[in-house]
Amino acid sequence: MTIKNKHPDIIFLGQPNCGKSTLFNAIAGLKSETSNFPGTTVKHTHSKVNILGRVLNIIDLPGAYTLNPTDDAENVALSHLFVEKPDLIINVIDASILARSLELTLELIELEYPMVVALNMMDLAEKKGIDIDPEKLESLLGVPVVTTIASHGRGIKELLDTALDCLDRCRKPHQITWTKDVSDKIEELAGRLPADFPIVANKRFTAVKMIEAGRLLFDKMLGEINPELKGHLDRIREDLERMHNVPAYEVISAERHHLAFKLFEASSEVKRGKQISALERVDDILMHPLLGYLILIAVFLAFFLIIFKVGNPVEEFLLEPITQFRGYLSAVLGRNLLFYIADGLLQGVGGGVAIVLPYFVPLLFLMSFLEDIGYLPRAGFLMDTFMHRMGLHGKSISPFVLGFGCNVPAIMSTRMLESRRDRVITSLLIPFIPCSARTTIVLALVAFYLGPFWALGFYAFNILLVAVLGRFLSLFYKEPSPGLILEIPSLKVPSLANIAKKTYAQLVSFVKFAWPVLIVGSVILGLMQFTHLDRVVNVILSPFFEKMLGLPEELGVTMVFGFLRKELSLIMMLQALGVDYHNLMSVISREQLIIFTVFISFFIPCLSTVAIIWKEIGKKEAVLSMGLNIGVASLISLAVRLIIGV
Amino acid sequence: MISLIDAPKDKRLRIVDVQGGHGVRRKLLSLGFHKNDIVELDSRSIFGGPVLIKDLTSDTSVALGRGIAQKIMVDIIDDQK
Repeated sequence: MTIKNKHPDIIFLGQPNCGKSTLFNAIAGLKSETSNFPGTTVKHTHSKVNILGRVLNIIDLPGAYTLNPTDDAENVALSHLFVEKPDLIINVIDASILARSLELTLELIELEYPMVVALNMMDLAEKKGIDIDPEKLESLLGVPVVTTIASHGRGIKELLDTALDCLDRCRKPHQITWTKDVSDKIEELAGRLPADFPIVANKRFTAVKMIEAGRLLFDKMLGEINPELKGHLDRIREDLERMHNVPAYEVISAERHHLAFKLFEASSEVKRGKQISALERVDDILMHPLLGYLILIAVFLAFFLIIFKVGNPVEEFLLEPITQFRGYLSAVLGRNLLFYIADGLLQGVGGGVAIVLPYFVPLLFLMSFLEDIGYLPRAGFLMDTFMHRMGLHGKSISPFVLGFGCNVPAIMSTRMLESRRDRVITSLLIPFIPCSARTTIVLALVAFYLGPFWALGFYAFNILLVAVLGRFLSLFYKEPSPGLILEIPSLKVPSLANIAKKTYAQLVSFVKFAWPVLIVGSVILGLMQFTHLDRVVNVILSPFFEKMLGLPEELGVTMVFGFLRKELSLIMMLQALGVDYHNLMSVISREQLIIFTVFISFFIPCLSTVAIIWKEIGKKEAVLSMGLNIGVASLISLAVRLIIGV
Repeated sequence: MISLIDAPKDKRLRIVDVQGGHGVRRKLLSLGFHKNDIVELDSRSIFGGPVLIKDLTSDTSVALGRGIAQKIMVDIIDDQK
């Protein structure tokens, strides 16, 4: 199958939360040439790895429960699988929910592609009292089965060895044994497929998928292209429905369900004792109707207080030498071109190190922690009721929480929402969630100068604003929301090493992509100041910023640059006002500080966010989103000015 | 036969029927919730929020919005074996 001069494609596929990305990262981390986007996989990640002198192209696809897509994230996985035939599939399975996971495995087996099963999370299965016999499973499925514990890096070498071995001489997986009547119908349809029909994998697989499909588009297209085949398909579906009294797709799905359960029973032994695991007891408290909410609030408060308590002293510590160096530069160079360039550089580099990183790193760390233990779906469960009030449901919580880290992956993760309406509303609201860049600004300005409780008050207001906006947007998107169906995966004991790795990877991507923007932006501002170009921009913007919002005229230009990256506004603010961080309050009042923060927080988050909305949701929504952000930022900051009076 | 929303907590229940549309049915199937599966109502949230059910057949837990839980019909199984 493998062509000599082409690197073999190996696809990682599994159901959500099976630890697939952890496994992928463990392998890609061995010798990866590309950096990965950790966290929830919503787009596929390519990585070339060199294993025992062989270069493999490994691809991580988003989690999919089934090969019959029910949301956009699954669509991504499938289009890749169907369009580009992989040389090998590594099917990652959560061993602690073996029966359910095998349903996808059975679907993959139907493809008849070379495949290896990675029986992951064996430790969790053991804790649950499930004793799995991998050899038995291997002989039943007819594909190699390797046990792994990705979070501890166990079994990875064996998995790679097996995968390499399988690439060279793979056995075809065993055929699925459907019950007689279902099997007859599949064979009948497969036999009727014309020679020019676009076959995926093989005729049987294509036939099964045709019976299972029920999407209006597919049926309509088939009806137009080949009415005769459509007639046969309809009749076959009706036959199955009549025999089993449920829709045809459910007949097929139920077959797999039973088959998977039989495989599970044959290969595993459940020795469930009386004792409930400690994690289950913790879960009862986390999801408790009363305690759950108290914990949710506590988690939220702790989240920000920890970031502030860690970030604040570090920031103070790092700022000191930079301030001193700046004074030194000014004394040595005077106010010439060189000074403006050097100052721009220093502000860009120093701002990135001293102001942004102290808050950014603990935030990334805590986000990864919440993600890894599996708290997000639990928050979704608890928040569902409240989300209904704003026209969404609990599943949108996960994108929202991700938005606190960065809006861009948050918008990508809306793919897991089933309805377009929910996706659009959630994506329009995410830009109002303060991402790490804005959190940095709020902490560095509001919390630092006015106190941490002002910052918390600001967050409370921000969340309220998102709720009100959600309610408002729901007025325009009337289709009913389908309601919450959300898997609650078991709680996981987080691995510190994994969280650290994730944080590090995100940090690297920040340094790689954001830092250059910060530095170049600061230098450009330095040059603009030297040539007095900044004044032109400021004068143009002054009717709005100075007259309407009562802000110092010099800040106009920083708002424009904030569109590139939010941290830039903060760093440039100091540069534009010509002060160092500690003397900020000598040139700006408390009220102006609040208005500035409000405007910056609700204004268009950044270029990348607009771009990703454009790409993921659509052009119309991207324009709408920008308009909404500009409108809300202006209105709220104006309202704040009128209330506090400047 | 009662709706899942009216079912007692921590009793074994059998799914008899899912009355939702195709979208809901397919989603539940993909998560491993099928007719005749044995499930358990684990938790209910306050203020008319979602319910948490556990499928004992496929050993998975799912949070279901109230509207969807209403459409799932179950029988109570009395014996505790």
